[in-house]
Amino acid sequence: MKERIAIIDGIRTPIAKAGGNFKDIQAERLGAHIVQELALRVGIPFEKYDEVIMGNVSQPGHAANVARVIALEAGFPDSTIAYTVHRNCASGMESITSAASKIMAGEGELFLCGGVESMSNVPLMYSDKMKELFEALFKAKSITEKLYTLTHFRPRYIKPIVGLMQGLTDPVSGLMMGSTAEVLAQDFGISRDEQDMFALESHKKAEAATKAGRFREEIAPLVYDTKSGKIMEDDDGIRFGQNMEALGKLRPFFDRKNGTVTAGNSSQISDAAAAVVLMSESKAKAMGLEPLGYLSHYAYAGLEPKRMGMGPSYATAKLFDKYKMSLKDIDLIEMNEAFAVQVLANIIAFDSKKYAKEHFGRSQALGSIDMTTLNVNGGAVALGHPVGMTGTRLVIHTLKELRRRGKHRGLATLCIGGGQGASLILEAE
Amino acid sequence: MMKAFEFTLDNNGIATLCLDLEDSAVNILSSEVLRALDAKFNELKKAEDIRLLQITSAKEGIFIAGADIAEIEDLRDEDEAYEKVREGQKILSQISTLPFPTLAVINGACLGGGLELALCCDYRLCTENSATKIGLPEVNLGVLPGFGGTQRLKRLTGLSKALELILGGKILNGKKAEKLGVVDACVPQGYLEFKQKSFIELILSNPEKILQKRKKGSWMDRFLPQLVFSYARKNVAAKTKNKYPAPLAVLDLLEKTNSKEVQEGLEYEARAFAKLAITDISKNLIGLFYASEALKKERGVKRRVKALPIKMINVIGAGVMGSGIVFQFSKIGKLVRMKLRRYEQAAQALKTIQKVYDGIIKRHRLTPAEVNMKMGHITYTTEFDGFNNCDLALEAIIEDKKAKQELYEQLEEIMDEKAIIASNTSSLSITMLSEKMKNPERFVGMHFFNPVPRMPLVEIIPGKKTSDKSIATVVALAKEAGKTPVVVGDCAGFLVNRILLPYINEAVRMFEEGADYEKIDALILDFGMPMGPFVLADEVGLDVGYKVAKVLEDAYGERMKVSSILDRVYQQMQLLGKKSGKGFYIHSGKKRQVNSEVVGLVFSKRTFDEQEIIDRAILIMINEAAMCLQEGIVENAQYLDMAMVMGTGFPPFRGGLLRYADSIGISNIVMTLESLAKNYGIRFEPAKLLQDMAKNNKTFY
Repeated sequence: MKERIAIIDGIRTPIAKAGGNFKDIQAERLGAHIVQELALRVGIPFEKYDEVIMGNVSQPGHAANVARVIALEAGFPDSTIAYTVHRNCASGMESITSAASKIMAGEGELFLCGGVESMSNVPLMYSDKMKELFEALFKAKSITEKLYTLTHFRPRYIKPIVGLMQGLTDPVSGLMMGSTAEVLAQDFGISRDEQDMFALESHKKAEAATKAGRFREEIAPLVYDTKSGKIMEDDDGIRFGQNMEALGKLRPFFDRKNGTVTAGNSSQISDAAAAVVLMSESKAKAMGLEPLGYLSHYAYAGLEPKRMGMGPSYATAKLFDKYKMSLKDIDLIEMNEAFAVQVLANIIAFDSKKYAKEHFGRSQALGSIDMTTLNVNGGAVALGHPVGMTGTRLVIHTLKELRRRGKHRGLATLCIGGGQGASLILEAE
Repeated sequence: MMKAFEFTLDNNGIATLCLDLEDSAVNILSSEVLRALDAKFNELKKAEDIRLLQITSAKEGIFIAGADIAEIEDLRDEDEAYEKVREGQKILSQISTLPFPTLAVINGACLGGGLELALCCDYRLCTENSATKIGLPEVNLGVLPGFGGTQRLKRLTGLSKALELILGGKILNGKKAEKLGVVDACVPQGYLEFKQKSFIELILSNPEKILQKRKKGSWMDRFLPQLVFSYARKNVAAKTKNKYPAPLAVLDLLEKTNSKEVQEGLEYEARAFAKLAITDISKNLIGLFYASEALKKERGVKRRVKALPIKMINVIGAGVMGSGIVFQFSKIGKLVRMKLRRYEQAAQALKTIQKVYDGIIKRHRLTPAEVNMKMGHITYTTEFDGFNNCDLALEAIIEDKKAKQELYEQLEEIMDEKAIIASNTSSLSITMLSEKMKNPERFVGMHFFNPVPRMPLVEIIPGKKTSDKSIATVVALAKEAGKTPVVVGDCAGFLVNRILLPYINEAVRMFEEGADYEKIDALILDFGMPMGPFVLADEVGLDVGYKVAKVLEDAYGERMKVSSILDRVYQQMQLLGKKSGKGFYIHSGKKRQVNSEVVGLVFSKRTFDEQEIIDRAILIMINEAAMCLQEGIVENAQYLDMAMVMGTGFPPFRGGLLRYADSIGISNIVMTLESLAKNYGIRFEPAKLLQDMAKNNKTFY
C-alpha cells in the first residue's frame, strides 16, 4: 500500500454463546450497538463518515444489506452509504481491507468497518419437498383441490434444514468444516490429545486474560435483556478451570468412529459484533488523532476447499513473498482457532521447508512460530467464533496486545471456509 | 362583512365552499363567521345548478379549529348563552337540509364546532396527514359540544364510542376517525386530489355503497343503553371524582335525548350548554387553556435568540429522575448517552425505561420496532467518552453541591464549548452551582418533576450569568419533549417546591397539634388535590422531602421551619415512605393504612374545624405564591397557576392557586392570614403584595 491505514479505535461486544444471552438480539441490533458506541467514543460526528462497511456471513433475511440497517439504527444520517461484505470467516477483515482499498483509491477518507454475526438467529429452513407442497397449495384453486394436495404431505417433509449446518458445509467438497479439520489431522498426523492440549491452553490463557481485565479494554458492555435488566460485560464461552479430563469425555463430532475433532477442541458457535474506525495515516495525523495502530499490508490466498484450514500458511506465504517479509519481522501472531488441529497443522507447515516448497514454491520455510507469541490470550476455541465478526476482533485484539507489550508488529491471520486464507500485518506505531 | 370563505362552482355542478378566514392563520366559527355562512346557505337553498357541495379549507393544517373560545368566555347570562348557541345550531343545521349532497373534506385540525359542522354534512372525507385531528374537546373547557355534536356523533359511532369521545375530549387521527365511523373515508394526503374526485363521483353515482359501511353501534348501544350509561358514569366518577359538571351534564343530556330526534335533542343540548357555559368552573378551565396557549408561545427570553439544535444529549445519573429524563428524550428521537458509576446501573435504568415503553406499546402509540429503535439510541458509559459531540448535558445526580460542581468542571473540560450544561436540581441555587464554572453562561436549571413521563411541567431556572441562548435552547427542548416549560427565578425551591413545601409542613404541624392526618388527607383530596399531603410525602419519599425541606428552612428561616415530627419520622424512625413500605402510612401493594407508630408520636388529640384545616393548608400556599410574584420569581399569576396545576395537580376546576384566591377574595385572605398569624406564628404574616392588593381592592386576574 502507498500509505498505512490508521485504525483509530476498535471495540467489540462480549462474545455470547449461541442460544444464550444474545439469542433474542438480531444481528443488526448487535452491530448497531457496537457501531454507535464506537462512533461516540471516537467522537467524530456521524455525518463526517464516508461509508459504513460490515462483514456478515449468515445475512439475515429480514435485514438484507445488514450494514445499511446497522448504520441507520446506529444513528448515522440517511445520506451515509453502507454495504455488507462476505468472505466467509474473513468477512470482518474484508470490511477493513475493502475500506483500505477505497481509501487508497480515493473513494472516501473516513470509514467505519466491522463484523457482526448472530449465529443464534440463523433460520431453520423448509425442505424442498415442503416448499413444493406449499407452492402446490398456493396454486390449488378450490378447497377440494387444496385438500387433495394436502394428501401428498409426508411427516418427513417438516424436518428442517438447519441453516447453520448448511452454512458450515463446504458446497464444493460437500464436507462440513469439522470434516475438513479431520482431513488436516490425517495429513499431519495430529492426535486427539495434542488437539485437546491446545484447546486447554486456549481456555487457560483466555481465563487469565479475562481475570486480568485485558478483554475489558476492548469490550463495550451490552444490556441484552431490558425486561429484567441484565448486562453482559465479559465473554461467556471461556471455561474457567477447564481440564483434560473434561475435554477427553467429548465424543468426536464429525467422524464418530475414528475422528479426533470434538466440540471441545473446535471453536464455539457464538454471537457478537466488533467495529473499527479507519482513515489514512496522513489524515489521522492532520486531524491530530492518536490511532490505536495501523494496517500496513494484507493478502488473501486461495487453496483446496477441503483443506481450507491451511489458509493462514497460504496467505502468509503470499504476503511475505509480496512484501519481502519474514517471521522475524513479526512480534505477535493472532491465528484464528477455527479448530485446534488446524492451528497445529499451520504451526507445522510454517516450519516446514518441504511444505513451503511443495505448496508455495519457496526455497525456505516460512519460519518457526515462537509459541509465546501465538494467541497469547487464547482464541476462538475458548472465546467463540462468531464467523462474520472474528476478523475484526483479531485486528483489534492484535493491536491492543501489541500496545500492552510495547511491541511493534503483529500478524492477524485466519482460515476461510471454502478454501481461502487471510493475513494482515498490523503495526502499533 | 368579513370574508370567511371562497365559493366556486365548476361546470360539472360541483360547488366548493373553501373556508379561508381573512387576516387569520386559522379558521374558527365565530358568530361573525356563522352569520356569513348563514347568508350563503340561505342563498344555496334555492340553487338549482348544484349537484354537490364540498366544504374545504385553504388553511395549512387546519379545517376548522373550533368555535371562538373568547365568545364562550364572555357568556355570563344563561338565556343569552342559550340563544347564542341555538342560533349556531340553526345555521349549521341548514347544511343538512340543502337540496344536494354535502361533503366535508378534512385535511387538518377539525375540532369542536369544526367537527360539528362536518357532522352536519352528509359525508366526510379526511386525510392521514399528521395535522388532521378530529374530536370534540369541549368538556376540557368545562362545557359540552353545543352545535349538535352530542346529537349527531352518536349516530355515526354508536352511543358508547360517542360517550368515550365526548367525555374524554378525545382527539383522533384520520385513520382512527375512519375506524370509529366519524368519517366515511381516510386517504393519504398525497392522494387527496384524485381520491376526492372519485369519492365525489361515488356519492353522485352510488351513495348506498358509502352508507352501507356506516356503523350501527354495538348491540349494547342499541338494546342496553342503560348499561352503557351506568358504566360511563362509573368511569367519570373514578376519573373526575364528580368535581367537574361538564361530563356529568353530557351523560344526563345523552341519556335524556337517547331516543329523541336530532332537532328535539338540539334544544336540550343548547340548554345544557348554556348552564355549563356560565359556570365559574368553565371560566377557570378556559383561563388555564389560555395560560397553556400562552406558555406554548413563550420562548423563555425577551430578546430574539435562536435555540441551539439539540441532537445528542448526555444524562449524568441514572436514578429515578435520570432514567425518566433519558426516556423522555429518547422518546422524541434524541441520541441519549448515560454516564453511570457502574455498568449494572445501565441495565436497571433500561429496565425502567423499557417498562414505560411497554405501556406505550400496549396503548398502540408506538410499534415495538419504533421502540427498539429508540431504546437502541440510548447508550451508556462509565467514563466521559462520547461526550464531546453532545449538544447538551443534563445532570441528575445527588443533591450535593460539591459533587455537582466537580462534575461540571469535568464536563466543561470534555464538552464542546458551545454545548449546554443543565442541572435537574430541585432546590440548589443555579447561580451558586455555577460559581466555579469557566462559562457559567452555558449553565441553566432544568427541573423535571417525578414521575417524569407523566408530569408535564419543567421549571427552567436561569442563573445570574446564564445566557439567553441557553435559556431559549432548554425551553425549546422541553417543548420538543412534549413538556410545558415555565421560566422561574433562582431561589431556594424555585417556584413549585417553594410553594408546596410550606403546605406539607403546615399539614404536619396540624398533626403535631393533634389533628388526625388521615382526615386531613381526606379533606384535601376532597378539595381537589390529587392526593393528600401525607400520602404525597410518602410517595415522594420522606428522605427526599426532608432534604428539600431543610434547604428551604436554611433559605427562608422561621417561615419554613421543618416540623419536629418530620425530624422524628425520618431521622429517628428512619421511615422513607412508600419506597420502603412505611411512612405516615403502611403501604402494601396499592393499599395503605395509617401507620400507628407515627400516630403514636402525638399524645394530645384535638378536633379541628374543617375550614381551619383547608385555610391553613391552602392559604399558606397562596401567601407564598404572592411572595414569589412580588419577588418576580415567575412572570405572572397566569404562569404561576399553570405551574401549580401541572407540577402539583392543583385542581384545574379551581383555575389555579391564585384564581382560587381571587374567588375567595383577597381581603378575606388577608384577614384570615392575620388571625392565623396571631394564633400560629409569623409564617402566616400576609405578603406585602396581598396587603396592597387588599387595600386597593385588586385581584390577580
